Amino acid sequence: MNLGISTEERLARIRLNAFLYFRADWLQRLVDIFGSAQEILKQDANTLAREAHLNPSTAANLLKEAFTINPQEEWDKTEQIGGHIYVPEDEEYPQSLRNCKEAPIALYVLGKLPTENQACVGLVGTRKITPYGRRVAQKLATELAQCGVTIISGLARGVDSVCHAAAVKLKKPTIGVIGTGIGRCYPPENRELEKALLACGGAVLSELPFNRPPNAFHFPRRNRLIAALSQPVVVIEGEVKSGALITAKLALEQGKDVLAVPGSIDSPQSGGPNELIRQGAGVVTCVADILDYIPQASRFGLDLHFFEHTVQTPAKPEEQLSPREHEVMQAIADGQLSLDQIALAIKADVPETASLLFELEVKGFLACENGLYSKNKF
Amino acid sequence: MLSNICTGAIKGIEGFAVSVEVDIAPGMPNLAVVGLPDAEVKESKERVTAAIRNSGFDFPLKRITVNLSPAELRKSGTQFDLPIALGIVAASEQLSETAREKLSNLLVLGELALDGSLRPCAGVLPMLISCKKLGKTAVIPPANALEGQISAAPFITPHTLRELADYLEEKIPLSNVQLSYVPPTEEPLQPILDFSEVKGQALAKRALEIAAAGGHNVLMIGLPGTGKSMLAKRFPGILPPLTQEESLEITKIYSICNLLGKSRLLTNRPFRDPHHTISNVALIGGGSTPRPGEVSLAHNGVLFLDEFAEFSRSALEVLREPLENGQVTISRAKETVSYPARFTLVAAMNPCPCGNLGNPLKPCTCSPMQINRYKNRISGPLLDRIDLTVNLNPVKFTDWKQETQGDTSAQIRARVLTAREIQKKRFAQTATTANAFMTPAQIKQFCPLPPGADRILEAAMRKFGLSARSLDKILKTARTIADLENKENIETKHLVEVMQYRPLDRKGVADL
Repeated sequence: MNLGISTEERLARIRLNAFLYFRADWLQRLVDIFGSAQEILKQDANTLAREAHLNPSTAANLLKEAFTINPQEEWDKTEQIGGHIYVPEDEEYPQSLRNCKEAPIALYVLGKLPTENQACVGLVGTRKITPYGRRVAQKLATELAQCGVTIISGLARGVDSVCHAAAVKLKKPTIGVIGTGIGRCYPPENRELEKALLACGGAVLSELPFNRPPNAFHFPRRNRLIAALSQPVVVIEGEVKSGALITAKLALEQGKDVLAVPGSIDSPQSGGPNELIRQGAGVVTCVADILDYIPQASRFGLDLHFFEHTVQTPAKPEEQLSPREHEVMQAIADGQLSLDQIALAIKADVPETASLLFELEVKGFLACENGLYSKNKF
Repeated sequence: MLSNICTGAIKGIEGFAVSVEVDIAPGMPNLAVVGLPDAEVKESKERVTAAIRNSGFDFPLKRITVNLSPAELRKSGTQFDLPIALGIVAASEQLSETAREKLSNLLVLGELALDGSLRPCAGVLPMLISCKKLGKTAVIPPANALEGQISAAPFITPHTLRELADYLEEKIPLSNVQLSYVPPTEEPLQPILDFSEVKGQALAKRALEIAAAGGHNVLMIGLPGTGKSMLAKRFPGILPPLTQEESLEITKIYSICNLLGKSRLLTNRPFRDPHHTISNVALIGGGSTPRPGEVSLAHNGVLFLDEFAEFSRSALEVLREPLENGQVTISRAKETVSYPARFTLVAAMNPCPCGNLGNPLKPCTCSPMQINRYKNRISGPLLDRIDLTVNLNPVKFTDWKQETQGDTSAQIRARVLTAREIQKKRFAQTATTANAFMTPAQIKQFCPLPPGADRILEAAMRKFGLSARSLDKILKTARTIADLENKENIETKHLVEVMQYRPLDRKGVADL
């Protein structure tokens, strides 16, 4: 632990950090003006407003908000679940965050943070994942984890969960930056995933007070941390207006590379990545496209030779299919078809189509969602 | 003076005989009705008083006591008006000895208007059927005459209290109060809405065919406008025709609810589609005076619940008992009654609250949580009682054009009938009526697993997360599919087809 900062000052920072209506760099500016967080908290609202050129009501709010939490309690609770609260002066505070303009003045950490030169790739995307997005996320995350890359994501539903889970399956560390306090789990169904992630040497980060519940405005805010920790940031799926695109924008502001997985022009969930590509983002069609963007300093120790550039991953050998099954695969092509449509295309009745589809699904060639069949490519 | 007249009342869907005893004694003028009468029976006092006076009789200004026996059973309904009035007239000696003699051989039912004319009342059919063994001639309101014919009991239909009294006094001939016999009219068969009118949706049609053949319940999940309601409305048309017994059962239920309209023997399978705002009591039956609910009105027919997930949770949960037992038992503080309720449940719901999940043209605006919550409104125990779940997807125009004419309802019905015949033979010695109602022992006996089934079931459990509990459901449905093909034993292809009708994907959104 850094000795340059006293315990009182640390607690004062934790207090100050509870004021979420300010960008973190403004808080840092206040600390710089007054010399320390302790000093700020000693001021009354009027002085604070005058000295820091703040709106008096904002200053009053800041002080009010800061005193709603008990920093000692925050500290104790965090230690109790095995976590730490770091401030930028600490050695453990991630260098990549310290470099970020809006570095949080207090960071709650559960688990093990990556080392400075660890290759970290941000994989972000929609909560409303499509079968295509699921496939891509699973493949990219698995291969990145195999290479030894740490995956950074948001532990939310959809793409985030798929990415974390893929790494956890390989017992590789991944980092979840969450939009609630670390004392909470949101969404609740990810509790198990979070445990597994920590067990695999990953970490869960948050800049929010320990027990802060989820709130819509927390999420765009935490996205900047995902962007700051990652290089590059890959957008897998997301609508044109979505959290994933906010992350991409923040990443660009921080000078990070943004890559996007192209998708179908019909799919609203691919609208975001396609828009990014239009604006000049790098195109990801295989994991090598991502690996190219990992900074030189982080490339040591990565198993990079496994993955060559490929235009498209070869599909599973389809020789083992019967002629009838081939027809089904051809009928489905790249679409999502219902049993009725497939039956029409291959001119079969329902029972026959049903058994063909069952076989193909069990063998893993097809996936079914809401009664629609699509190819399971990877 | 004392008089005693026989009438009837309803308990559940069965009638029972009630004797109306009237005693007239000197004292303060008063009319008291005892013997657990309901509100409408107590009110009959006023109607009776006016009707007696307006029929040209004197209303005795004495102490009148009316006792309805057996006294421990609750009596409701308006059919007591006529027997009470007649009892008072008889007890006040305004009828001759011969008339009183004749009266003792009558079963009297009817509501009175203030002018003394007879109005129709509910439940005449079950009361006549239950009281037939007494061997009495029934007196029923003319409007209920057709129910009398259905019951095949001797009956007369006077128009007024006075007419009945005149007939008893032999002042007018029997022909005046008796309809010339007409054979029981049957409800004309509804023009069958045909399955071939529904374009596409071969899978859903197949599921409904299986449901009709084996008495299975169906859940259809699909975007708005994919034909869920259209299919459901055509479903009764592929069910086997009602047997005489079945149609009598439902006619009795409709008679009790006063829903017969132009009272006739019901020969179409009922199709009930209550709105999703229905209360529990209206759905299941009940009330302080128990009445059959929608599930009983759908007895031997189809209960179609559109917007299944929008029904209140408790309304859905009360469906579990009738789905399991084929009857509803309603227990109230004062009594317990049972109504039959063996129906086929056809439920329909959207895939998500906004209805666009899986729509290629319109994006779904629901959050994953909303979708999950929507699907979870259908509880596990309820889903366990639904053997077939089927997804309906929009029919594309190109498919719609090349769609060949599907089978007509008549063709499907013929296959269903064959399958039902096989089941009738199979369950000849037992209480089971169709594959869907097989007991675990029967499943073991009639549904041996074909060779190679292990691989399929193992794959299904691994891939689709099917529980061991759903195995019975799968076997029952596979049995029906085999019956439709007239196969002795279940084959692997039957099992594989059942996998298409697997239940709602209940995995959490983040589940991988």
